Amino acid sequence: MKRVIILLLIFSSVYGYSAPVKGKVLGVENSVKSILPGANIYWAGTNLGTIANKDGEYKIESIQNNNMLVFSFVGFKTDTIKWSGEEVIDAVLDKNTEIEEVTVVQKNKGAYISQINPIYTTHINGAELHKAACCNLSESFVTNPSVDVSYSDAITGAKQIKLLGLDGTYSQLQTENFPNLRGLATNYGLTYIPGPWLESIQVSKGAASVVNGYESITGQINANFKKPDAIEAFHFNLFGSAEGKSEINSNFSVKLSEKTSTAFFVHGENFQNRVDHNMDGFLDEPLMKQIHLFNQWKFYDGKGFMVHSGFHYLNEDRTGGQTAFRKDMERTILNPYGVNVGNERFEAYVKAGYDLNVKNSLAFISNVTNHKMNSYYGLNNYSGDEFTLYGNLIHTLWIDQLGVHTLNSGISMVYNKTDEMLNQSNINITEVVPGVFSEYTFKPNPKITAMAGIRSDFHNTFGTFLTPRVHLRYSLTDHLNLRVSAGKGYRAPRIVAENSFLLANYRPLKFAENEILEKAWNYGISLNQEIHLFERPLNLGAEYFRTDFENQLVVDRESSADFILLAPLDGKSYANSYQLEMRYELLPRLDILAAWRINDVKQTIGNQLVRKPLSGKYKGLFTVNYSDRLKKWMFDYTVQFNGGGRLPVVAGSPANSPTEFPAFTNMNAQITKYFRYWNLYAGAENLLDYVQDHPVLGTDRPFGNEFDATRIWGPVMGRKFYAGIRITLNHKSN
Amino acid sequence: MKNFIRLIIVGFGLLLFISSAEAQNKESDLVTVCFKSSMDCHNCEITLNNYLKFEKGVKDLKVDLASNTIKVVYKSGKNTPENIAKGIKKKGYEANSISEDEYKKLLEAATTKQK
Repeated sequence: MKRVIILLLIFSSVYGYSAPVKGKVLGVENSVKSILPGANIYWAGTNLGTIANKDGEYKIESIQNNNMLVFSFVGFKTDTIKWSGEEVIDAVLDKNTEIEEVTVVQKNKGAYISQINPIYTTHINGAELHKAACCNLSESFVTNPSVDVSYSDAITGAKQIKLLGLDGTYSQLQTENFPNLRGLATNYGLTYIPGPWLESIQVSKGAASVVNGYESITGQINANFKKPDAIEAFHFNLFGSAEGKSEINSNFSVKLSEKTSTAFFVHGENFQNRVDHNMDGFLDEPLMKQIHLFNQWKFYDGKGFMVHSGFHYLNEDRTGGQTAFRKDMERTILNPYGVNVGNERFEAYVKAGYDLNVKNSLAFISNVTNHKMNSYYGLNNYSGDEFTLYGNLIHTLWIDQLGVHTLNSGISMVYNKTDEMLNQSNINITEVVPGVFSEYTFKPNPKITAMAGIRSDFHNTFGTFLTPRVHLRYSLTDHLNLRVSAGKGYRAPRIVAENSFLLANYRPLKFAENEILEKAWNYGISLNQEIHLFERPLNLGAEYFRTDFENQLVVDRESSADFILLAPLDGKSYANSYQLEMRYELLPRLDILAAWRINDVKQTIGNQLVRKPLSGKYKGLFTVNYSDRLKKWMFDYTVQFNGGGRLPVVAGSPANSPTEFPAFTNMNAQITKYFRYWNLYAGAENLLDYVQDHPVLGTDRPFGNEFDATRIWGPVMGRKFYAGIRITLNHKSN
Repeated sequence: MKNFIRLIIVGFGLLLFISSAEAQNKESDLVTVCFKSSMDCHNCEITLNNYLKFEKGVKDLKVDLASNTIKVVYKSGKNTPENIAKGIKKKGYEANSISEDEYKKLLEAATTKQK
């Protein structure tokens, strides 16, 4: 501090000298304000600046001929405020979610853990997204220790994620901070979000904020698309794999005026090669076509009113099954076995925000979706038509200027009508759920953030239920954060839609009720420390999460050889997840990440508390990222150690049937070469070429009673080489 | 176990590559040029950095907004100070050539202030 003053004194002779300016620097993240210790404050275009102290306070001498004061802090938008002689200027910086983060001069941390958010949140930005071929959201998690991605069956290519060892359905999937891709889209939702369209992803574990509904149980995954007013003007990506899969992604933005901008996004993918490496007569990967169009609009009047809207159209077709199957064949047991899934989806959303005054702001989010699905799995027919209308109105009240007390409250509405037809039976569900919520955040000082939220929802079938959630962040030392959370979550699953891949087996699905309400509590504790070792940041994390189900939809594929039973939980069901994580820049520009997680997931199936089948006991992850001095080259290497687990054993199976699946290792590597306006990348997935033996059981009689393509625990596709190009042109700055 | 051995091999390969990449930059036929510029925003720093690093022969680069300086190290014969300056001007910023000593002073002054 002394040095600053001395320096200012030296410079003051050059620039002149008058009264000092002082104030506080705050940041807003998820509409919660927090102090930004260490923020930079300087006069625009000069070297004259200072740094905010641990309470976010600063004091700077004013200078002649300059009245523009610049406030900046890593991860937040830089703000320039005009000074016209006031004694106090407080700055509030918005969270930076712009593409800007991707291109910062220093080596960019692709993923980081928020230091101030009370909810344990990992931010994944564009730099991290470049590390994997990253065709869609499901592949974006390859380098993330918290999220597991696996195939749900051997035929449709559908992928599912697991968070805290539990199925992805228990974590709420959001786009642009509102719930999305539920119901009919559950199984393929991840593949509906193209990686090259993404600006950032946030993964938060444990109880989430109550603002976005009651559905999240194990956490939230939010994907943010690139914004039309960001620096990137044009992006083009072309991807091809050695197997013959091709993908194209492009987006461009137009600034229509100072206030209005729009962006167009295109995604197309095509795969028509019949590949059967394991020679089991079944395609390793389904033939597929997808087209996805997206148009986004953003309006900001510069005075606190913002509107952001978008329109999506998606159409896809997947065909899998036996290599000899053709779509025009009559579906009888005399012809080859085939699976076809067609999806058509339309979505429109609007988000509007208005700052009423310094203390009050309003936000309104709404989206409307129509999803049509037509599919068959061998002789099983399944189709669905879903209409969803969602609305959420949030009022934020900053009770005091400095963000010590913040209150978020509002009302929400979900209307969902789903008409499904499974073979000859109709399933018609209408959900109408109005809700109210309130969430209070208390930040007495930079060391503590406490958040308590409650919501009440009025469900037309299940009545009124309460969702309480609490979070606490406490800094034990400057860089050691302790987080504790507890909260309840509910979910009304679409029983068939979410398990439709199970139709690729010989047993019919049996369920007594069309609608059930899953209920669970989640508790978590985590410690996160950031220290500097040899002048480079070292981040250490330890966490424990427990999920306790009061009610759950249990998939029982073991009790009977005649059917798969989908029934409410009768007994206990829980998941414990223990994780250790370390991120370190081992050598200059060489980042490593090592993580280990133990999953202890148990469920009562057929009156017995057993390990959840097809779920690995542990997961290890090690990633290395190296870039050269000027970041013209980047090398990535990822290895995952997946623990073995229990196989579902059908009642009446021969005594020597395997009951466990083995541990396996998966490796990926990629090289990226950057040029001024474009970059090339090439890599390989599943380098060790490890594939599960017999992903499809009973291949010789696919319509017989041994056929099962859903007993999947490992990779079903072998080593895959790919290459691609990305071209990026930016808007001229200023 | 087999996987573990492969892991070690890959790791060693990577280390070898890195050390050779680092060694490359220690060659003696490098030219250093320094400039005082006129950047006024964080984005300017990014723009210049991304532009200059792909100029011919550039081996090292430091664009600093706080001190408003640019330092470029390039392989001799591959580029000229005039051409680098032209590149900076093309992006709309001043490029006043300064000596390495002046550069160090400016940089030091700006970094002390930050502490």
